[in-house]
Amino acid sequence: MAFFEQHIHDAPKTFLSKYVFSFDHKVIGKQFLWYGIAFLGLGGMMALMIRWTLAFPGEPFPIVGQFLFPQTNGVVPPDTYAMLFTLHGTIMIFYAITPILIGAFGNFCIPLLIGARDMVFPTLNMLSFWLAFVSAILLLASLFTPLGGAAGGWVSYPTLSTLIGSPGIGQTLWCLALFVLGVSSTMGAVNYIATIITLRAPGMGYFDMPLTIWGLWLTAILNALFLPVLGAGLLLLTFDRVFGTTFFLAGAAATSGSGDPLLFQHVFWIFGHPEVYILILPAWGVVSDLLSFFARKPAFGAKATALAMTTITILSTVVYGHHMYTTQMSPLLTQSFMMLTMTISIPSAVFFANWLGTLWKGSIRFHSPMLFALGVVFVFGLGGLTGLYLATVTTDLYLHDTYFVVGHFHYTMAASVLLGGFAATYFWFPKMFGRMMNEPLAKIHFWITMLGLNGVFMGMMVVGYAGMHRRIYNPFVYEFLQKLIPINMFITYSALLMGFGQLFFVYNFIYSLVKGPKASANPWEVGTLEWQIPSPAPHYNFDVIPVVKCGPHELGNPNLKNGRDFQYQTEELVEV
Amino acid sequence: MAIVTTKKLMSEKDQGQEIISSVAMIVTLVSFAMLFATLMMGFAMFRITSPVWPPAGMTKPSLILPSLSTLCIFLSSMSFIWFEKNIADKRGLIVTIVLGFGFMLIQSLLWHSLSSQGVFVSSGIFPSIIYTFTWIHAAHIVAAISLLFWLLFSVLKENTPKVRIQASNVGKFWHFLGIVWFIMFVTIFVL
Amino acid sequence: MNLYSLYMKLFVFNAHASEMTLLERIKPPLDISTNGHLIDSLFNLTTMLITGFFILVCIGLFGFSYLYRKSRHPVALYVHGTARKHIAIVAAIAALVFMIIDMQITGISNHDYMQVFAKWPKEDADVVRVEVLGQQWAWNFRYPGKDGIFNTEDDIVTLNDLRLPVGKKIVFQVTAKDVIHSFYLPNTRLKLDAMPGRVSKMWVELTKPGVYDVACAQMCGTFHYRMQGKMTVYSQEDFDKWQNEMQNRTTFAMEKENADLYWGWKWLASK
Ligand code: HEA
Ligand code: HEA
Ligand code: CUA
Ligand SMILES: [Cu+2]
Repeated sequence: MAFFEQHIHDAPKTFLSKYVFSFDHKVIGKQFLWYGIAFLGLGGMMALMIRWTLAFPGEPFPIVGQFLFPQTNGVVPPDTYAMLFTLHGTIMIFYAITPILIGAFGNFCIPLLIGARDMVFPTLNMLSFWLAFVSAILLLASLFTPLGGAAGGWVSYPTLSTLIGSPGIGQTLWCLALFVLGVSSTMGAVNYIATIITLRAPGMGYFDMPLTIWGLWLTAILNALFLPVLGAGLLLLTFDRVFGTTFFLAGAAATSGSGDPLLFQHVFWIFGHPEVYILILPAWGVVSDLLSFFARKPAFGAKATALAMTTITILSTVVYGHHMYTTQMSPLLTQSFMMLTMTISIPSAVFFANWLGTLWKGSIRFHSPMLFALGVVFVFGLGGLTGLYLATVTTDLYLHDTYFVVGHFHYTMAASVLLGGFAATYFWFPKMFGRMMNEPLAKIHFWITMLGLNGVFMGMMVVGYAGMHRRIYNPFVYEFLQKLIPINMFITYSALLMGFGQLFFVYNFIYSLVKGPKASANPWEVGTLEWQIPSPAPHYNFDVIPVVKCGPHELGNPNLKNGRDFQYQTEELVEV
Repeated sequence: MAIVTTKKLMSEKDQGQEIISSVAMIVTLVSFAMLFATLMMGFAMFRITSPVWPPAGMTKPSLILPSLSTLCIFLSSMSFIWFEKNIADKRGLIVTIVLGFGFMLIQSLLWHSLSSQGVFVSSGIFPSIIYTFTWIHAAHIVAAISLLFWLLFSVLKENTPKVRIQASNVGKFWHFLGIVWFIMFVTIFVL
Repeated sequence: MNLYSLYMKLFVFNAHASEMTLLERIKPPLDISTNGHLIDSLFNLTTMLITGFFILVCIGLFGFSYLYRKSRHPVALYVHGTARKHIAIVAAIAALVFMIIDMQITGISNHDYMQVFAKWPKEDADVVRVEVLGQQWAWNFRYPGKDGIFNTEDDIVTLNDLRLPVGKKIVFQVTAKDVIHSFYLPNTRLKLDAMPGRVSKMWVELTKPGVYDVACAQMCGTFHYRMQGKMTVYSQEDFDKWQNEMQNRTTFAMEKENADLYWGWKWLASK
């Protein structure tokens, strides 16, 4: 229930107040979208460099190589390689996927889909974006420091990430950058949670919210709970580096007193495991909605799906130990973490079954958002199920820190979440910019991406099971890995293909912005609140706050008279 | 509770504001709580795993200063509650601010006395913990004091439901920091 | 001419493209331990089970997409999936996933871990004891020598050169000097983090003589990828021969006063 009518300022006039320092959630959403896509590009380029190095060790990186690494005439040097995958991981998770799904679509969708005029704290919202911007500058600045950027992996375990392993200022900047970003995201989370609790349109109960909002809400809750944990860890690490404390130093390394490097791993994964669900929950939400919208029938067991996601959110806080099996925790802990991790597959299977149930006896339209949604079902099936190998401790003893893990989390993040993000982009683009994206290009983008990413990530699984471990500059110094060269080359070719595919997206995005056909108010013919207002969404969204009378997935009701096969959430539910 | 009694006098907008801001404030406090909880978890881990505490060759700092600061922050919370009872007279708030500064003063004295005994942040895990945790807490206190000033200005300007909401939220934060300090005092200095 | 060989012809202009079938290429390294097969078989079992379920997913995904596409199935069925029947089906699927996949593999893994991999040989058992120290970027190994006691003059110390006998339990105590490393023996399917400030342990029993790779699986700096050792597996006799040879040699790493080179500890009795 909306507690009150938000106070309306009149639309900003100047360029600055309109596009740069804007309080409008839609503009901030778009800012985050640009930010995210730019970093997706950067992280992707880094990925391609990584792949090139792995497939063709000692060969100069084509085109840009000569400019980037003149001292080795174009070959990626080992220390740079470490920097590359560290920043690739950091950038993709914190600066590409998070901004796109949570920053962009969180900001854009939440008020629109719950029938509010804006976030409850527009100023906080703007602050959150500009803090993220500052953080980005810190991170990129670290690349230009004497000893280069952070190079300890995205998890940057001590003692490698303390002065012993990485004396450069880059690692410190990395810590600060992530800390600032954490503050920014926490601000966002507080804003999202408060908005969803207090500003839902009159009549909209929690289960009348689109599942997208459920996903974003649960994500925000996890953010608010666990980013501070990372923050604490980073603070202590920074103190170790700057003030000579010894929280994470031990053994021969510790000068005085004695800390414990393992503490950081605990802290990091207490945050880190929820983080991976932070990334994927919005994608799950979006997919659950889109499947129903484009199958033209109500989301199958929507309530169950929402509850399953909630269960996962809760469980995700108690399974983090599965990242630390090889550190030899007490057997009891190991066993409990294995059990708890396994239980997550129950709620996952529930919404999986619901997704398929939604397709069952639908009338499916294969528009681009739907294609990407279906793609997510496919790749998350693979990504999720491969998690089970890692969840059982004995197999993990072998697979830990091999490319099998890399394959697993690329299937879940780089495939599921990325495709989810693309689906959302294609779906809400009309409401964001008032124009349609080009459908054929979108489909080409989908098929090339699908082909490429399965090549890449399936290949990773294969070399992983063959024993190839992570974060190695040149695998082929090991005899037992030399036979894998052709497969690594295959992965690289697939990666190049996938990268190439993304150009269709970039071109389509830019082109449609300026030349795309004007979008009608409701191009996809669905009933959620945002489609009842003109595209692009006007200043302050709703001139009268809508009153919600039915759920978000009321499609295909046979008793609908008005020639539509869907009904708006503001309409009284037509009884069967 | 002051807010409840004044409810009827409040416009719908103010009530909305009150609920929203207190929801947000609670979420924020939960986040901060997680931050300090993590620190405490780290401390607990060191404490449990180390055979002797404080670790060999280190002694606990004397309890005098920490107890004083605890008293200080306790009184400040009291005076704030007193102030919330009746926003109109600002003495309670002013006392809170003064005591807040007092707390900071005592903390800096604590750091000074430690370093004068040759105990520095880098001289072992126990000093590291003492300094780091008190620093992080103090940083929040500084933020909170500036909030108190912000509150003072709006109190001086007007006495509306809006200000009362503001007061109750700043209050929540201040009391929260008091509790955090009390936990640190007991676990780090006393036990 | 299948796709694989086509690919090899067209794209792999590379000396390493020896004649090898795809399966040979992608299978894990030769298992030379008595218990590695436990891990392999659990892996294969998991593969079977999840393939089964993933096929179900695909049947749903592609089947429904084909059967119920707009042109073929213009009107969607209006169900919310809240009927008791529907809820039962979903619950059944979830239960099946849990019982058929999770409970099985968890049970097996739990058994293997508690009964085999985490079941340490008795202190008095006749085992080969090795101390392992990871450092940037090399593996140090220390054998107790004749007297069977570590940290004495007659210890045998080697660098990146691990020599072990077959047919005897081998117990490693692993730690690190500077940063975290991970002691990775692909051919035994085992891996154990080496962390400064704590000693973790692992045991194996080897079956096949030969020379194999020792790797570091945990990012430990620029030359992490080069932190490579060799594991030579001997028959018992050859192993004793090697030990006797090593015995009379003294290495610089023996001088206790040479602090930055010296390392080692008294063998820690397992509690
Ligand atoms: C979005 C990200 C994401 C998601 C969703 C997941 C999901 C899961 N992950 Fe993953 N994981 C990562 C991201 C993610 N992970 C990352 C980034 C790392 C590595 C970090 C690093 O080390 O750098 C990692 C590492 C990682 C490890 C540590 C590996 C190691 O380092 O040794 C483990 C171990 O247990 C694990 C397990 C799981 C499990 C059990 C799930 C479960 O949630 C999966 C649940 C889903 C299912 C089980 C599928 C359900 C569907 C079906 C069963 C189909 C059947 C249905 C019908 C027939 C209708 N993951
Ligand atoms: C969501 C996160 C995410 C995403 C999307 C990706 C995407 C990719 N990743 Fe990434 N990866 C990680 C997260 C991610 N990765 C993490 C966390 C690690 C661990 C790091 C560590 O070990 O610490 C990792 C590590 C990692 C490794 C292991 C490095 C090592 O251990 O040595 C490899 C190797 O192949 C790899 C490859 C790839 C490839 C080929 C892609 C491809 O999918 C990339 C395809 C995309 C592009 C090619 C760019 C597309 C461009 C646009 C969409 C827009 C372009 C815009 C402009 C030009 C403005 N990744
Ligand atoms: Cu040592 Cu990696
Ligand atoms: Cu995890």
